[in-house]
Amino acid sequence: MIITILDGSMQGSSGEMIAFVEKAEARLQPKHTVRCFHLQNLNIRHCNGCWDCWWKTPGLCAIKDDMESIYPVVMQSDLLVFASPLMAGFTSSVLKRASDRLIPLIHPYVILNQGECHHKKRYDKYPDFALILEREPDTDDEDIAIVKDIYRRFALNFHCSLKHTWLTHMHSPQDIAHDIHHF
Amino acid sequence: MTFTIFNGSPRYKKSNSQTLTEQFLKGYHNQGKTEPVKICYLARASQLAEHLEAFRQAEEVIIIFPLYTDCMPGMVKEFLELLPAAGNKNPKKLGFIVQSGFPEAIHSVYVERYLEKYARRRHYHYLGTVIKGGVESIRSMPPSMNKKLFKQFRELGDNFARTGQLPRELMQQMRTPLKMNAVGRTVFRVISLLGLPDMYWKKMLKKHGAYHLRSSRPYAP
Repeated sequence: MIITILDGSMQGSSGEMIAFVEKAEARLQPKHTVRCFHLQNLNIRHCNGCWDCWWKTPGLCAIKDDMESIYPVVMQSDLLVFASPLMAGFTSSVLKRASDRLIPLIHPYVILNQGECHHKKRYDKYPDFALILEREPDTDDEDIAIVKDIYRRFALNFHCSLKHTWLTHMHSPQDIAHDIHHF
Repeated sequence: MTFTIFNGSPRYKKSNSQTLTEQFLKGYHNQGKTEPVKICYLARASQLAEHLEAFRQAEEVIIIFPLYTDCMPGMVKEFLELLPAAGNKNPKKLGFIVQSGFPEAIHSVYVERYLEKYARRRHYHYLGTVIKGGVESIRSMPPSMNKKLFKQFRELGDNFARTGQLPRELMQQMRTPLKMNAVGRTVFRVISLLGLPDMYWKKMLKKHGAYHLRSSRPYAP
């Protein structure tokens, strides 16, 4: 399996996630191909809503930065893992910024999917989603449920499913490797 | 009351969020409110320190943004991470407006749950979240087609000026349909067969000489 991890750790977070992700990567590597992007070290700009990716250069973002190296890797993957410390109750802004930039991967055209309007596929196949979350001191079950539900919706728009959610205080890198081996 | 609006659209002043804000303020000033309302554009990242100071000084705040990948845009999340918790004596009033291109409200009710929890976590007085779908089309529609939408936003502003609250009944009306009913889905299927929902995109692709590239898959493995 090809697995891509987008690590949304950022300055001000504990750094625990980076170590956790690296351990998970080491556990997974023997059996799987894993690519990990530590987003805080990359130059990734905000989506500016220009929609060039939909009507000028279909499928290609107009912003030339480090997302260019992430797109092909994501589209080769079977599983896209969003790893992030929770910050103000949601995944980090660094991760959100990169997630916003995934929009060139789908069409502007809208279709009915599960009785709702959603964007049409640009590609035949998309990676499924997974989450690794590091809680804040005040994180509760409601926060986790909100984050999971929003990523389920995100997955629905990307024609895939949220397959796993791992919490760094409850799961080990070994658990992740086990779940993925039995995916 | 110091009232400040934060526009969280990456499109800055050319955004639909700006158009809706202008309608909201028309209604707000109809009520004889003469003091200027400060508008901060989060897309102006270089002004972040000023935005944070404007938030600190405001007593009433509305953050308006477009739905991006089923949630708030990254720049709005960045801003939310930096806001301080309210003091216990005088909780700041905080409301949100989430607008999206999808016709149904269902797409935005998930981020609404986050925003409500965020306000609680930061001890702000939560004014509620206005959800409005079908907004992207205001750019392509003739003015007559936007009359109802703009009237709703003027009413929101008018009501906010009078009461300091976002009116529940109007907010409920604005977030319809939550999901399309069977009739709506059938109509959508029929107009899809005629290619109507794609017309705007096809027109823009042709305008930019990119129609022949519309099905490009540059990252296909």
